[in-house]
Amino acid sequence: MLETREVSKHFGGVKAVNGVSLMVEEYAIVGLIGPNGAGKTTLFSVISGALSLTSGRVSFEGADISGHRPWEIAEKGVVRTFQTPRGFPRMSVLENMLVFASERTTGFWKNLLAGGRLSAEERRNISRADEILSSVGLLDRRNVLVEELSAGELKLLEFARPLMAKPKMLLLDEPAAGVNPALLEHVVTYITQLRNNGLTFFIVDHNLGFIMDICDHLYVMADGELICSGAPDAVACDPNVIESYIGTKTETTV
Amino acid sequence: MMPGFVLFLISSLTLATVYALVALALNFEAGVDGLWDLGVVSFFAAGAYAYAILTVGPPDQMQVYRLGFGLPLWIGVIGAAGAGTLVAYLIGRASLHLKHVYYLITTFAFAEVIREVLTNERWLTNGTAGMYRMAQPFKSSFETNLYPLVLLLVMVAILVVVFIALNRVTKRPFGRALNALRENEDLAATAGMAPYRYHLRSAMIAGAVAGIAGACYVWFNTVIVPQQFTSSITFVAWTVIVVGGLGNNRGAVLGAFLLILTEDVLRLFDLSSTVAVRVASARVAVIGLILMAVLRWRPRGVLPEKRPRFSRSEALVPAEAPAQGLQQVGSGE
Repeated sequence: MLETREVSKHFGGVKAVNGVSLMVEEYAIVGLIGPNGAGKTTLFSVISGALSLTSGRVSFEGADISGHRPWEIAEKGVVRTFQTPRGFPRMSVLENMLVFASERTTGFWKNLLAGGRLSAEERRNISRADEILSSVGLLDRRNVLVEELSAGELKLLEFARPLMAKPKMLLLDEPAAGVNPALLEHVVTYITQLRNNGLTFFIVDHNLGFIMDICDHLYVMADGELICSGAPDAVACDPNVIESYIGTKTETTV
Repeated sequence: MMPGFVLFLISSLTLATVYALVALALNFEAGVDGLWDLGVVSFFAAGAYAYAILTVGPPDQMQVYRLGFGLPLWIGVIGAAGAGTLVAYLIGRASLHLKHVYYLITTFAFAEVIREVLTNERWLTNGTAGMYRMAQPFKSSFETNLYPLVLLLVMVAILVVVFIALNRVTKRPFGRALNALRENEDLAATAGMAPYRYHLRSAMIAGAVAGIAGACYVWFNTVIVPQQFTSSITFVAWTVIVVGGLGNNRGAVLGAFLLILTEDVLRLFDLSSTVAVRVASARVAVIGLILMAVLRWRPRGVLPEKRPRFSRSEALVPAEAPAQGLQQVGSGE
């Protein structure tokens, strides 16, 4: 469904991402791990269009999307989340949802000339938003400003928001970071459930327990390059992975 | 014949109406959207001069401007809106692909450029001598001493229409999209919004409204000279929306009336010329004090921006919706 071929992103002499080729199959939950500075988030930004790529090719559903702008990629059904969730701070939770509604009429003239207080479209979007909010337990907070949410609630909203766009694929950047164990369990169930409903996931995270738990397939990056890939269990035993996370024997004895 | 005090009040209210329109324009691009415009006066000036050139008659012997179409005044107002929109489009096109700070710089610079052009292109504007005998709405239908009131009412009517239109758009998905871009542009882009397109539109809408305000300003003054369009108009408009409440359309209107009337009250007293000079400079200080007081005690303005509260959808949508909603949760198309 999503494929990167020899994707590189260089910042001057720094090769943040260097020749990465990977593939995410439809309805899969694919993980991407690696130590800090491995280039995971940079790769995400390249895929989602936030950063231009130095070389290589990104394709989604067979169509080349390399070099497309973030909103074009979003329109194709690939929606990313951000490492540090901030949302739209001075807007209500419900408004945060509505901004992402897949069907929305945002033309100036149409908005100006339409009659009535709430359009039928708006009502449909509100009811969908309420439905999603109640599934993550945020329905009671719908009229609260996002800047007033707790960190946990903000994290939950981060999952709920992109669903309004009816995406085909979600790129989650560290969904487990700063999430307490009880909530994490909830997140795992939620992601699995969404996948069963037809969503595809590509997830970057540091929480190995979480990522081993949830993913069908793992990629491991270090220093901008892909060093290993495979089923979670196999990857965990790979000497390259162990080396990049905790170092080699010789290094530790020196 | 109306007493002097009433005439004075009417004149102050009329000027406040003009500022309210400029403030609404600025609030739309800078408060609802997040474009910091330091040259809203250029939209205003473009509108005023477009109105003047379209409606003024041919020049007399003392004047050097070549154009002067003598067209009906409603065409002048449309032209004013168009000129403001065009200036906003040109500035926006040049700067809105970049970071927002460049919009701020470009608008600021453009405001100075446009004043130089108005001063020096005498064939177009008659330079610093200006143009006079400007057409005013319904002028011939009313007695001269009643006319200030009529003009005030006409301008208040325009203000009401503009307010309703902008407020409507602010509360609907278009305004919400601008709010979202203001709050977090990267995130809004992942919702499928092309920031440039929205920003350009909000700037052009501000341009149109400020352009109309320019035409109103010409009605108010009946003469037009480049010196009327200094950057102080931009800064008064900014003070107005910060005092009123950034992002709140009502705040912009309230702020304009509050500030302009306060400022004018200081003119009311009959003073000797030396004291008058001091009071005149005190007016700026008073505005500054109001601004400081508001920022100290009500940092989000007298009327802070309010988010709409929506009632639960169960109450809004008939029974079939929730079941349908469940299936839709997260389902890919």
